[in-house]
Parts: sequence; structure tokens; C-alpha cells
Amino acid sequence: MSVVFDSAALGDESQIAADLRRKKIRRRLLVYAARALTLFLVLGGWELFANLKIVDPFFFGQPSGVYQTLRHWVEHGTAYGSLWLQIWTTLKEALEGFALGVSGGVLFGLLLGQNRFLSDVLGPYVKAMNAIPRIVLGSIFVIWLGFGTTSKAVLAAVLVFFVVFFNAYQGVREVDRNLVANVRVLGASRLQVTRQVVLPSALTWIIASLHVAFGFSIIGAIVGEFLGAQKGLGLVIATAQGNFDPNGVFGAMLIIAVIALTAEFLIERIERRLLAWRPPSHAEAGLA
Amino acid sequence: MAILMAPEQATESFRDSGRHATPAIELSKVTKRFPTPSGSVFTAIRDVNLVVEPGQFCAVVGPTGCGKSTTLTLVSGLDRPSAGVARVHGAPVDGIAEGTSFVFQADALLPWKTVLGNVALGPIFHGIARKPAHATARDWLRRVGLKGFEDHYPHQLSGGMRKRVGLAAALINDPSILLMDEPFGALDVQTKAIMSNELLALWEQTKPSVIFVTHDLEEAIALADTVVVMTVGPGTVKAVYDIDLPRPRGAVQEIRFEPRFLALHQQIWDSLRSEVERAYARTATSTEHGEDR
Repeated sequence: MSVVFDSAALGDESQIAADLRRKKIRRRLLVYAARALTLFLVLGGWELFANLKIVDPFFFGQPSGVYQTLRHWVEHGTAYGSLWLQIWTTLKEALEGFALGVSGGVLFGLLLGQNRFLSDVLGPYVKAMNAIPRIVLGSIFVIWLGFGTTSKAVLAAVLVFFVVFFNAYQGVREVDRNLVANVRVLGASRLQVTRQVVLPSALTWIIASLHVAFGFSIIGAIVGEFLGAQKGLGLVIATAQGNFDPNGVFGAMLIIAVIALTAEFLIERIERRLLAWRPPSHAEAGLA
Repeated sequence: MAILMAPEQATESFRDSGRHATPAIELSKVTKRFPTPSGSVFTAIRDVNLVVEPGQFCAVVGPTGCGKSTTLTLVSGLDRPSAGVARVHGAPVDGIAEGTSFVFQADALLPWKTVLGNVALGPIFHGIARKPAHATARDWLRRVGLKGFEDHYPHQLSGGMRKRVGLAAALINDPSILLMDEPFGALDVQTKAIMSNELLALWEQTKPSVIFVTHDLEEAIALADTVVVMTVGPGTVKAVYDIDLPRPRGAVQEIRFEPRFLALHQQIWDSLRSEVERAYARTATSTEHGEDR
């Protein structure tokens, strides 16, 4: 009797589960379709209005023009050499600046976060430096370091540094004192406390800042190239601007967007790997 | 009043049995004051005298905010007394003392480390290579009944299991002194009883000297050799009671119905009640100070 009842209930449950799964798939397809439609409407509308001269393609460009420009760059290169060289130059500057800025930010964040005296002394200066518009430093770096890639990497590093620093600092300050006390009693040295408790604990904060930081490193590289360079996507944009070529500006923008999205994807992968220990959600954390 | 002499046999099994006269833990006239954010000074404990003999299980009970936890941090070396001396094995405590382990009230496991990694921390901090450290940790996990959970993360365990991991992590260092700050306070009644039994079983194996802070008097009597009653804050030792219940005690759930247990409970509660009432009256009128500081 009870067996019959159980299997009936089980059949019901698998039926419900299948229904739920089907509903979920249908919803996801709907979202994708709506996204494609949105893109089509925006680009199609832009192209249509540009063709009908409702918006002036001389000022606003048009999708087909952007495509033509990109194709031209791929096939014949830009005014400063192949497109790949421009991309690689900007990417290299951004990555160097990112690496430099992140390491500096984490290092100083750990240092000032753990040393009350140092943070009291240097705190106001850090805040003051954060308050000045650092993008202007780009001009100084071009004067100091020339038109090569170094000045751009340094500008990118300065922009990245502050974002990462403030997060690392805050992360260190938020470390659970209980955990620190526990590992100290277990025999950890100062360095071991930093490595085993402070750094992993602050990592959540630091990684959260990396998303914004990479965007800043690209901005640093591009603006640096604006201010004076021999190659790079920033220079390509500056040239397009000088030639009243909106398609060129949009084309370079598109390339940068692809780079940034790829980086975002990679950072997310790293994040998931490094923070694998975190409970999936607060609701499930209490259960065991 | 506060000085206690433990039975001779307690010292025999202990590692430095050569120094019979030296207590494992000795607090003499210890006072601890904290500066408050408002600029005044808050006295957590005042003139505390306490002696724990080697291998003795000492429970400290007292109302909320009487400085029980502060006493533990002074013994562990996490903090220093403002006046008086805390001695461990006869030497004044100066920084984290070797051979002292601490089990905290809240979970103090590293959430980014697996259960095995957490338990192996102690040996690794003492310079033992990863492999033997993990082997020892595995052995301890087996002893606390968590075989098979080595690769879980703390958040995947129940509260009781996390406490077991904490116990294993504390005991793996083979401490001669074990400080426990309301270790089972956050557990439900049944889990607490089970954990108490397991703690006693583990303690009987290596017999470290224990200070066990709790505000559960029944728990204190069921586990300890001596029960110290502290006054309302600034805390000081009000009375010390020898618990002459035979060991091994057996299940803590059953011992509490024995006549001797009930008599002791009655006697100690008479002393504790007035402090609890005073503490309650105080919290009702002001909430100035945080708990247990």
C-alpha cells in the first residue's frame, strides 16, 4: 500500500522537476532572443536613420561604415602599421600598468592595513593624492618617460593603484580578529598571519576591485596614447578624431570593448577559482 | 581562599612532574583595564587570584560581562595584564605561550581552508612539513569522529562538527594548557551534551590543564574538578568549589541527576545567583559596556 503511494509521489516529483526544467530552458531562450532583437533594433535603426539622412553619417557614422573601417584596418593596416600591432601595444601597456598597479596596491594595502602608525602617518597623503585628477599625470609621464609605451604603462598603473589599494586596505581592516587570535595562539608568526589569514581574507575585496581596475588600466593606456604616442589604439582614435572620421572612433571603441570584455571574463574565471571556498549562497550556508 | 591544592596523582601523569610545587596556571592579583572609545577606562577584572594545577579541569562561571573571557586572553598571552602577574608553569606570560591552545566561542576556522588544512595549521606553524602535518591532522580528525570530512570546507559542516574541527585543531599542538571560552555556547542542548562527553574523553587521554569558561553552571559542574565563581564586573574571584564527583564521569546527561551533583549545584548556585541578579539589574539600567569585556 505504502509502496504504491511512494512511487506515485515519486512520479509526481519527477514530472514536476521536468516541467520546471523545461520552463527554465524556455525562459533562457526568450532572453537570448530578446537580446538579439535589441541589438538588431539599435544597429538597424542607426543604419536606417543614417541612410535616410535623419542622423548625419558625417558626424555620427553608421554601422556599415564602422564595419568597412574595421575591415580596412584588418586588410591594409592603420596609418601606424598593422591593426594587431596597435592592439598589442595598447594591451601591453594596459597589462603592464595593471600588474604594476595591482601589486603596488595590494602591497601598500597590506602594509598600511596592518600597521596603524604607518596608516595614520601616510593616510592623509594617500587621500590627497587620490583627490587630484591623476589623468593629468599622464602629461608629466610623457615628459619624463617619452613617447614610448612606458609612460602609458605608468599612467595606467597609477590609476589602478588607488582602486586596488583602497580595497586591499579596507579588506585588511575587516579581517575577523577572532581568526587572527586563533592562528596566533596556534603558533603563527607575523608573516604567517599575513599569508594565511589577512591576505586570503582581503582577497574577496581585492578581487572585487580588479574588475574596475582593469577598466582603469585600459583608460590609462588610451589616454596616455592620446597625449603623445607613436602607436596604439589611442593614437588611432586621436587620428580618426583629427580626420573627422566617426567610424574610425567607433571602430577602435568596439575593439577596446572586446578586449575589456575578454579581460572581464578572465578575471571572473580567476575569481571563481580563488574564491571556490565560499559558500554558494547565504541561504544554503546554514545547512549541512 | 583562591589557592587550591590538587590531588597528588593529578601531577604525576603530567610532563613536568619534576616541579610538583609549580602550578600550571597562576594568576596573582591580576587586573585588566581597557580604554573605552569615550576616553574613560573600563576595568574588566580586578585582583583576580586563580591557581590551576597541572592536569586540572577548572571551570569559570560568572554573569555576563564579568571578565571571564578577558581572563583567558591574559593567560594565553594574547593580551597583557594592567597590574599583577599571570604565570604559566611558573614563568610570567610574555606573548603567546608555547603549549597553550585556545578554543574560541565563535568559530575560528579559516573558511578558505579545508577541514584537513585547518587542523594541520598548528603543526605547519611549528615548522613541520606538510605531509607529516596532514598525517597527524588526519589522525586527529579520526579521533574527533570526522573521518571522511577532510576535504570539506567549514561552511559545509554543522555547528557541532565545526566545534569538533576546532577541538582537533587546538589539541593537535599537544597543549599542556587548554583554554576554552564558552566553546559550546552556540550549540543546541543535545549537541552540547555530546560534545561535552567527547571533550571529557579527549581530555582524559592527555590531561592538559583546562580553564573552561561558561555561564552554564550544570556544564561546569559536570565537567570540572573545580568551579570558580566570579563576581559581577569588574570581575574578581568570589568563591572556588571543589567538585568531588568521581572520574571518569560518564555521560554528562546522567550525572546531573545524582544527589551529590544536585547538592553541589545548590551550593554553587547560591553563590552565583546574587551576582547574576546584580548583573541583570545593571544591564537593565545601562547598556554601556559590551559583553564579556
